[in-house]
Amino acid sequence: MSKNISINVHHITRVEGHGNIVVNVKNGTIEQCQWQVPEAPRFFEAMVRGRRFDDIQTIVSRICGICSISHSFAAIKAVEDALGLEITEQADKLRLLLHYSEIMQSHTLHVGYLVSPDLFGEKSVVPLVSKAPEIVKKIIKIHRVANQWSELLAGRITHPITVIPGGFSMIPSEQQLKDLKKQLEEIVPDLAAVCEAVLSVADKFPAFERETEYISLKQDNPPLYALFHGDITSTDCNGDGPVPVREWERVANEYVTPQSTAKWTRWHRDAFAVGALARFNNNAELLSPLAKKVADMFGLKKGNCNPFMNSVAQLAECAFVVENAIQTIDALLSKGLKQEKVKVSPRAGRGSGCVEAPRGILFHTYEFNKNGECVAANICIPTNQNHANIQKDFEKFVPEFMHLGEDGLRHGMEMLVRAYDPCISCSTHMLNVTFVK
Amino acid sequence: MTIYSRYFRNEKKMMKQTIVIGLGNPLMGDEGIGIVLIEKLEALARQGKIPKAEGIRFHEGGVGGMNLLHAIAGWKRAILIDCALMGAEPGTICRFTPQQVQSIKKLSHLSVHEVDILKVIEIAKQLDECPEQIVFFGVQPLEIIQRMELSDVLKSQIDRYVQTILNEINQPF
Repeated sequence: MSKNISINVHHITRVEGHGNIVVNVKNGTIEQCQWQVPEAPRFFEAMVRGRRFDDIQTIVSRICGICSISHSFAAIKAVEDALGLEITEQADKLRLLLHYSEIMQSHTLHVGYLVSPDLFGEKSVVPLVSKAPEIVKKIIKIHRVANQWSELLAGRITHPITVIPGGFSMIPSEQQLKDLKKQLEEIVPDLAAVCEAVLSVADKFPAFERETEYISLKQDNPPLYALFHGDITSTDCNGDGPVPVREWERVANEYVTPQSTAKWTRWHRDAFAVGALARFNNNAELLSPLAKKVADMFGLKKGNCNPFMNSVAQLAECAFVVENAIQTIDALLSKGLKQEKVKVSPRAGRGSGCVEAPRGILFHTYEFNKNGECVAANICIPTNQNHANIQKDFEKFVPEFMHLGEDGLRHGMEMLVRAYDPCISCSTHMLNVTFVK
Repeated sequence: MTIYSRYFRNEKKMMKQTIVIGLGNPLMGDEGIGIVLIEKLEALARQGKIPKAEGIRFHEGGVGGMNLLHAIAGWKRAILIDCALMGAEPGTICRFTPQQVQSIKKLSHLSVHEVDILKVIEIAKQLDECPEQIVFFGVQPLEIIQRMELSDVLKSQIDRYVQTILNEINQPF
């Protein structure tokens, strides 16, 4: 084993930021071990100032190309909180259904396209297509259904146009919901096959654990595996009760650190984790039967502190959202769908909204003047809440896995970052090409 | 056509000739050029100003990603409009096919949020669901910054960009 290791995974482009991994080991002593996030500061909070309450979701849904539905909902809930709006049971169920579609889209993308190549020993999904075509086709099929599912309810796959403060501007037909239900039932065997395929290579998940505080929503009334409603809870709460969403700032405790231009967070400890594993650790008993079966396949149990198991928790959540979506569709159809009129008047107020985005709990707060114009905004994204925890994981991971040598350690650390399903550099994407002579 | 009529049933019956996809983020200055142009083209189609528009779908693709794989599947021709760093003068619009370029985009492979569109096309080919013809229209940006409008350089040339793309749409393929 080499006593000297130098890892510098460095990615910076002009606008986009990426996470940098920096490790220096000299004569077996770790001199530096850092997760650096030199992401360009985002000014989306400033962008919404002066905008009307009904423009907010349209703008903030562009913060991210993957979690755009979550940003829309966190914003809409905050607007409705500020304006004192109640929505109907039908609108709430349709929103839940739409939110589930994004969980499905994003988790499939993460496990199928980003994590699977690691497990199957490939650099990316491109070579995996020829190495494991049948399983890749199933992943693509599930992802495609999830996209159509979002499009049905949101009006398009990302950046919803139907979701408005107070409800929906348009809703699908009952026949379209029946068609969706059929599609969801059809992908259950595909999902089971993907779980089996991941299980067959699950020994590639590093055996790594670090005691961690996990934060997520928890929904008690009615009890439901919390992805959309609830109060904030933590595995460290020790009975001091869930925290109302309006008080999220005292949970996140955002702070700045020299190694990152993204804000970091901490609550009971010096770091915490959010995401599917956090939700599982706070709510596992509320998973649906198929989802529990998925967790059991992998031996995932409440209290798990292996960050790599976040991908397994995501698979369990995929099963949950399919099962619960089918039930939600049945509940909607049993009452019959009707187009509901929405009338909203602006007023001064401050409100907060929260949902579980695929990669963790997401908070939005807005303040409006009497004309309904935004005067202040505060957004706290899940990826930023995980940065400090990734750093703490690195500090334990590097000494434990130093024996793998430079390449093995670098790969392990990259896998660790990927396990958190981070949202970095997602607001821009442009092509960068050179012409072939 | 309502926004839902293409969902599941109707699109299967539709002659899937040409899909025109605008990509980008309108919150990031010139990065949003693809979105601005697709909105203009959609508006022209709604006004009946695009001949034979019944076999054409205009699609706002956001920042693309792997969703592009699904958007282009099964169409005969895909025309993609995007902001592109091509080493050209700001405001330049270039027509190219995937075969005419090489991606020099560096991915960290740390996040699903970064995707190289040319790699997505490669996957579509491997899956045998790639359109027969793919054409890009890349527009070289002046500024990619947090701003909800295009630079004047691009803004002043929108009509020209729209006409260039319309010429392509009207080309037999």
